Amino acid sequence: MALETTAAVRSGPVVTATAPSPPAGHGDGLPMGEAYAAAIAGLPGMGPARMTAVLGRWSPAEAWERLLAGDVRDEADVLRALGPRHGELVARWRAEARSVDVGGVGRALAAAGVGVVLIGSAEYPAALVGDVEPPAVLFHLGPLALAGAPRVAIVGTRRCSSTGAGVAFELGRDLAAAGVVVVSGLAAGIDGAAHRGVLAACGAPPVGVVGSGLDVVYPVRHRGLWREVGERGLLLSEAPLGARPERWRFPARNRIIAGLADLVIVVESHRRGGSLHTVDEADRRGVDVMAVPGSVRNPAAAGTNELLAEGRAPVCSIDDVLVALGLRAGAGSGGGDGGDAGDRRAQPEAGDLALLDAIGWQAGTLDDLVSRTGVDLVRLAPGLERLCETGWLARSGGWYERVGASGGKDEA
Amino acid sequence: MLATVSSATLLGVEGRRVRVEVHVSSGLPGFTVVGLPDTTCREARDRVRAALLSSRLKWPSSRVTVNLAPPGLRKVGSGLDLAIAVALLAASEQVPPECVGGRAYLGELGLDGSVRPVPGVLPLVDALGEAEVVVPVACAVEAQLLGRHQVRSVATLDDLVGALTERCPWPAAPPPPDPPVPLPEPDLADVRGQPAARYALEVAAAGGHHLLLVGSPGAGKTMLARRLPGLLPDLTPGEALEATRIHSAAGMSLPPGGLVRRPPFRAPHHGASAVSLVGGGSGTMQPGEVSLAHRGILFLDELGEFEAAVLDNLRQPLEEGVIRVARAAARVAYPARVLLVGAMNPCPCGDGGAPGACRCSPSAKARYARRVSGPLVDRFDLRVEVGRPEVAALLSTETAEPTAAVAARVAEARARALARGIAANAHLPAWRLEEAAKLDRGATRLVERKLRAGELTGRGLSGVRRVARTVADLAGDEGPLTAGHVAAALTLRSTPAFLSGRAA
Repeated sequence: MALETTAAVRSGPVVTATAPSPPAGHGDGLPMGEAYAAAIAGLPGMGPARMTAVLGRWSPAEAWERLLAGDVRDEADVLRALGPRHGELVARWRAEARSVDVGGVGRALAAAGVGVVLIGSAEYPAALVGDVEPPAVLFHLGPLALAGAPRVAIVGTRRCSSTGAGVAFELGRDLAAAGVVVVSGLAAGIDGAAHRGVLAACGAPPVGVVGSGLDVVYPVRHRGLWREVGERGLLLSEAPLGARPERWRFPARNRIIAGLADLVIVVESHRRGGSLHTVDEADRRGVDVMAVPGSVRNPAAAGTNELLAEGRAPVCSIDDVLVALGLRAGAGSGGGDGGDAGDRRAQPEAGDLALLDAIGWQAGTLDDLVSRTGVDLVRLAPGLERLCETGWLARSGGWYERVGASGGKDEA
Repeated sequence: MLATVSSATLLGVEGRRVRVEVHVSSGLPGFTVVGLPDTTCREARDRVRAALLSSRLKWPSSRVTVNLAPPGLRKVGSGLDLAIAVALLAASEQVPPECVGGRAYLGELGLDGSVRPVPGVLPLVDALGEAEVVVPVACAVEAQLLGRHQVRSVATLDDLVGALTERCPWPAAPPPPDPPVPLPEPDLADVRGQPAARYALEVAAAGGHHLLLVGSPGAGKTMLARRLPGLLPDLTPGEALEATRIHSAAGMSLPPGGLVRRPPFRAPHHGASAVSLVGGGSGTMQPGEVSLAHRGILFLDELGEFEAAVLDNLRQPLEEGVIRVARAAARVAYPARVLLVGAMNPCPCGDGGAPGACRCSPSAKARYARRVSGPLVDRFDLRVEVGRPEVAALLSTETAEPTAAVAARVAEARARALARGIAANAHLPAWRLEEAAKLDRGATRLVERKLRAGELTGRGLSGVRRVARTVADLAGDEGPLTAGHVAAALTLRSTPAFLSGRAA
């Protein structure tokens, strides 16, 4: 589907100050309330808190007229949300709102197939109703009715190792197959790998929560993944169509992920990574956080290992997650290094298998591999080539990494 | 009166014979130099006059014309001073004209009449046809390297005139210098761990393949590179003369004994300009670093910090082994057959390489990749990721294999290359690969898969075959290359992280 619309359809410098553009009827767009809310969300600097303040005070239509008239003077709650420079902001919104055709906004959303849901409406996701900071308005592609099934968020760094991407892929795949809805951010790295796993499983549908508008694919190379999640599951955003992936939108996005999830799994995170922000948001909501242990030499696992040190539960296999969700009894879990089910790679011959075991799961340069295996380079090289070719080892920039079952780093 | 003597001047790194003609005639006293002298050469007038007077000789008070033939060739430097003085003495009949012929003269004059050394004596002497050459004492050893000439060395103009007029004998040649003591070179035994990088050094030394070391700061890239010269065999007499000629022309101090016997090691700073790297210059043309490293190693540390345009100048000389510099004044060819060793960080933050470790933004990485162009990286047939050595290896008291042991294997492999008629496998021409680096069935299948997967280009394949040949030579394997040899060559050819996604 072509999602090439802009945030606010402008209709030139028309519109009188006295009357807002007359509601354009219901037949060709969204219900007017939702259209007004979408138009308000498209105003510059309209973040979650301001949105909540404005729509908490007035109905969308009334709020729009107030903003169009610049009339918010007597509303202490709203002014507090607008911050110290509220005069400036109100004037900007007023100027901006004059050029917005609300009916056009509604039609553009309808044309893109994007639904709008306001807090308080019956379709609003139940998980977010009691949230500490619920989004006042949500844009969505795909059916909202995902309640019932347990939801797990898989998050992690964009700069992950291929081990991390492989683990995220397997968790996504196996959880979806077990009927668990996987929520993630569709970002590069771990997020994308998890969603790819979900799509590979043909199980529970994927849920993607993104920071930009639903027609602004970010990162661009996830275009295909993004589309597939929208078609087979649910894409959610708090940002109106056309919103750029501005930095402040991502922490806001993380809170929705944390709010939607029954459990958050961090697969890989650097010591100070964005995924740790999701962990903070989960803590505020009392959502359990689990982490995948990583090598102490892997900088992309430093943050997750710290989470484990804080006492979070480790995820060593899918069973750990299912037990935490109460879907399986806690007896003899553990075991298995990723599960070989569905592994389509050719089994390496005995010599190469021994080599693979000697190499281990720790990424290394050629130097490291020679030291670990104790085999000199000339005799080691043919085995490495064979293992790379059959997909048991991944090579990038002179580093070698063992690859788990079907785990792949995000490709274009 | 007219007198003519022989001398020579430098063009690039080669000598050109010059005939110095001096004509003394009646007329208004004056002194003119014609025949395209540069400024230093024109100033010979004042040096020669003072030197003559200091040596109690007469400065003719008549019209003197000095012609430097051939007149179309630019004469550079002060090396013609001595020849001008001798020709002038003969033309003014202070020395019998018949005594000055049959010899060539090289040297600069001091105002006190002393004869001073000049750069490039070796190529200058090489250009001379005369059986006897007079040179400054300090250049005597260098002038004797060719062994074709009777070399007379003089310390002052007075000594020379004395010998020419047979007033006193020729000064004795300076005693031959002590046999050169090999300078201690850094030894491979100091390198802890890093077995793959050590092997890459061995292959580079044995096959003359260009080597790129990629690794985080502190991984020991520079330390490894400094140990490469020690693995290379001594230069052959011919190579030694080539290298000495260049060093001499550039005015660099030569090792005791005069001959550059060990492969040179040059490590220009990354601020280097294009001219300093490849040679040239507007006034006197100078060989660049890549020529000074001829028959040796050019080490470019922090390759990513060099200007992209400067590096791209290296591509053609790396292919041809020679640099042709053309300027308005002259066109010269500098020999430039080097083993290029590059060292660089995997990305701007320096931590890249290891999966998940890089902190660079994609745009910073793209900028880095633009600096070191793909075509230049293509020239490196050996590309190795150097990781920080293991702590255990650093603290181990076990000594690693010393340079001497590795150098012995390198010499053996080089001998095999020599049997094929080339100095090193890196110089195997493409048309000889089928015969000298034949692939067996397994090896063919392996490279076929790589080519089909787009992981290898045609040029890359030639490089892989040359390296595989060296791997086989080091192992002492005759016959066609096996999949094992080719796999080792492929393993030593990783694509740097910042360029990943391109075919090798």
